[in-house]
Amino acid sequence: MSRIYEAMFLIDNDRVRAGWQATKAAVTGLVEKHGGQVKTSRRWAERRLAYPIRRRNRATYLLTYLDLEPGSIPALNRDLEINDMVLRHLFLRTAAVPAAEIELSAAESAADFIVPEPPPDDAVDEPERREHHDEDLDIEDIDDDADLEAAIEGGRRERPPIRRVEPAIVAATPERTEG
Amino acid sequence: MSARPTRRKFSSGRAPKKLKLGLKPDDPIDYKDLDLLRKCVGSQGQMFSRRRTGLTAKQQRRLKEAIKRARHLALMTFVG
Repeated sequence: MSRIYEAMFLIDNDRVRAGWQATKAAVTGLVEKHGGQVKTSRRWAERRLAYPIRRRNRATYLLTYLDLEPGSIPALNRDLEINDMVLRHLFLRTAAVPAAEIELSAAESAADFIVPEPPPDDAVDEPERREHHDEDLDIEDIDDDADLEAAIEGGRRERPPIRRVEPAIVAATPERTEG
Repeated sequence: MSARPTRRKFSSGRAPKKLKLGLKPDDPIDYKDLDLLRKCVGSQGQMFSRRRTGLTAKQQRRLKEAIKRARHLALMTFVG
């Protein structure tokens, strides 16, 4: 009995630049080779990766819903691992194909749909810098000086003033009463 | 009279403010919902505890799965 799966593929942008519809057909063709039936498929996003994969800093995400025999997944996994085009993939069981996905997939298949070209600057010299907000560095959560140092190292250069808690407040709200 | 503990986990003597995620107990947590997942990790990408997220045990397990899936697909960073 076949089941419905949600599958996300992370696709190399070099391949996407050569033609999105052809790339999509290549991935879905791979699924069909293993007896799968592609219900919907669409470009979910083109974005910077949180960490480089095979020296790629950006990639395109293809979100698909498939009808697939569970037994064929190991073989399909192996094929996808070997494939150069697919950087990562993830299969998840789902109960049904969401209605919104069917619409979005149909919209992308329409002739007048223009697929945005991935930006050319893949090899970005600077890795993504996370913005550091004060709320990220919550001193109250850090119970150890070493942790504090580490957090400061990652967050800001200067050590922020540590607020001393008055003993009266501690006595009013005891966290541990034993001892 | 009990002795005051010498070292407490939180310097202010109270738990950190819980996140306001607006999730109902049965809501699924999707790995594609990055706005939600980002709220549940710290500046270095480490997951917050239940104490911090305010989720039920079941929801926290779902959150854990979602974050791990997102990390696998390079949607989120591993802790580092």
